[in-house]
Amino acid sequence: MAFPYEHEREVRILSRGWGDPSARTLEGWKALGGYKALEKSLSMSREAVIDEVKASGLRGRGGAGFPTGLKWSFMPKEKTGLQYLCCNADESEPGTFKDRELLRWSPHQLIEGCLIAAHAIQADHVFIYCRGEFFEAVQVLARAVEEAYAAGFIGENILGSGISIDITVHSGAGAYICGEETALMNSLEGRRGLPRVKPPFPAAVGAFGRPTTINNVETLCAIPHIMTHGGAWYREQGTEKSPGTKLFCVSGHVVRPGNYELPLGFPLMELIHDVCGGLRPGRTLKAVIPGGSSVPIMNAAECEACTLDYEGVVEAGSMLGCASVIIMDDSTNLVKQVRRMVDFYAHESCGQCTPCREGTQWMARILRRIEEGRGTEEDLDTLLDLGDQMTGTTICVLSDSAAAPVASSIAKFRDDYLALIRRGERVGAA
Amino acid sequence: MSETSSSSGPVPFRNPGWAGNTGAFDLSEEQVRGDDYVGVRPADGGHASGAATYPYMKVEKSPEAPLFEGPYRERFDKILSRYPESRAALLPALNLAQELRGHISPETMREVAVLLDLPEAYVRGVTSFYTMYNKRPVGRFLIQVCTNISCNLCGGDEVLASFLKHTGTELGSTSADGDFTVTEVECLAACGTPTAVQINSRYYENVTPDSVPAILERLRKKGE
Ligand SMILES: Cc1cc2nc3c(=O)[nH]c(=O)nc-3n(C[C@H](O)[C@H](O)[C@H](O)COP(=O)(O)O)c2cc1C
Ligand code: SF4
Ligand code: FES
Repeated sequence: MAFPYEHEREVRILSRGWGDPSARTLEGWKALGGYKALEKSLSMSREAVIDEVKASGLRGRGGAGFPTGLKWSFMPKEKTGLQYLCCNADESEPGTFKDRELLRWSPHQLIEGCLIAAHAIQADHVFIYCRGEFFEAVQVLARAVEEAYAAGFIGENILGSGISIDITVHSGAGAYICGEETALMNSLEGRRGLPRVKPPFPAAVGAFGRPTTINNVETLCAIPHIMTHGGAWYREQGTEKSPGTKLFCVSGHVVRPGNYELPLGFPLMELIHDVCGGLRPGRTLKAVIPGGSSVPIMNAAECEACTLDYEGVVEAGSMLGCASVIIMDDSTNLVKQVRRMVDFYAHESCGQCTPCREGTQWMARILRRIEEGRGTEEDLDTLLDLGDQMTGTTICVLSDSAAAPVASSIAKFRDDYLALIRRGERVGAA
Repeated sequence: MSETSSSSGPVPFRNPGWAGNTGAFDLSEEQVRGDDYVGVRPADGGHASGAATYPYMKVEKSPEAPLFEGPYRERFDKILSRYPESRAALLPALNLAQELRGHISPETMREVAVLLDLPEAYVRGVTSFYTMYNKRPVGRFLIQVCTNISCNLCGGDEVLASFLKHTGTELGSTSADGDFTVTEVECLAACGTPTAVQINSRYYENVTPDSVPAILERLRKKGE
């Protein structure tokens, strides 16, 4: 049975079980080669596992693209007490919808990745922190964890290795900021999800005051494949600096939106026109947000030569983030969409830092005024000024994220703003 | 391609939480949602590893239900056993309380505070931080429509308007029969199948303004 999104140019590694209900089950997953990588990894030293992951060049899929092997090597060499792995399944960056599919179609892939990572960093307990809205996906995951416990893949003395690891599935309760790694730990501990000042870094003082590593779902799902086939194999896909495949979440104005697993470095225009079936008939490309709502907006000219790897997108004027590609055609009312994004950040700001708490609210108010045709040209300067004050001045980067689409849209789509300000004319309806 | 709507009877339901309107796809709704694999999770939470997950929301809410008795007490004890500090059981406990009672009242906060030996004001502070805690009673069906960017580009605002119109409610208020409360929600991580709507515990995807009456009809009949 075909997964609806399937495209011949995809390289399906992480997503190969999607759309196949039998791949969800322990038996089905084992039939696809599952849990072999765990067996292999547990027979290796933890240093050797980290070296293999380093060799693969895998970079964190949660947004920042930080090298995973390197992150793991920050954990203490000498263990002095409990250590934790947190899997970040809080997926709430607007435009991102890959982790939910990984959770509900291939839960055992994630479990296997968590166990291997826990071995590598000497974690005793893995907490999989899922966003509260994922009732359905979380029940699938919880069932899979239960199955894996019963089969002896989780718990005491796994597969006779002498290594013991527990996994607990934890649900949040609706707060975007809990995706930020230190807010996630606070939330896990039963507190408000407020980001913590770093340092200390989680590898030194993390969840419950103990050394902790936090990784995204997609990052951990890549681990079993790397351990099975080796770091060199993983590098066969993607670019030198951005190796491997990535799940691209494409949404907005394309004929076939969806998740596509493609090698990093894939050309953006081919993603739009070939893989996703192009724009709707008669439409032209206006703007693209390549990495979820937190990254700068690109105009059509910037998209032309853009390749989708961490470096390529920076060169084109934005960031890859979690590869959540939002496509906007010429029917888009960009000012409205920017306002909607800023509304989101204003709602989700945890309120600790004044520039973020006040800045997001002010921006939202000014943008609404412009949208309603009551803005002035000075408002644009005020917005840019606010954005400057909100960037690099706060505990976490939510504040910077709110400023990014505002500043980039004013720089690249000033005419849309001016049409509203000068003539009360709206550009685009969507 | 077997699109459920083309062959269906009185309640067309195109997309059971699934992006199924392109290509060949012929899974049942249970297979798509994973219900066939999950089965019915027991009230005592089953294996302790999953006891802290957000349980399915009950349609019939009972604000007076006792907290954490019988199997729910067992579930609560399993939750406690998973964390090095009992404070960490706060969110799972509130989740459980909301499953039973439908919302978190000041009285519920007080009970949870006593149970976990935390100051009442602390519990109130945490509860107010998280949007999923209903601070007031909601209808049997809490309908949350995503109007964030990807859905919005494809008509999220119109879907929201359609839900409000067909339930005869205003944003955040409950219909006279107590069935529906409609709210706006931030991105639900289903942006490839706009518009995404969460109704109690379930996702509905590819929702259009026109498909709203059928969904409401299904809720009234099927209870989800
Ligand atoms: C405001 C904010 C929200 C975030 N949300 C998420 C999220 O939902 N999921 C996620 O995996 N990472 C999120 N991150 C990134 C995490 O802080 C962290 O970098 C990531 O989980 C690390 O995993 P990785 O190394 O595997 O990428 C967010 C960061 C910020 C600043
Ligand atoms: S930047 Fe905003 S969200 Fe981040 S810690 Fe400060 S107030 Fe909270
Ligand atoms: S924008 Fe609606 S689900 Fe993501």
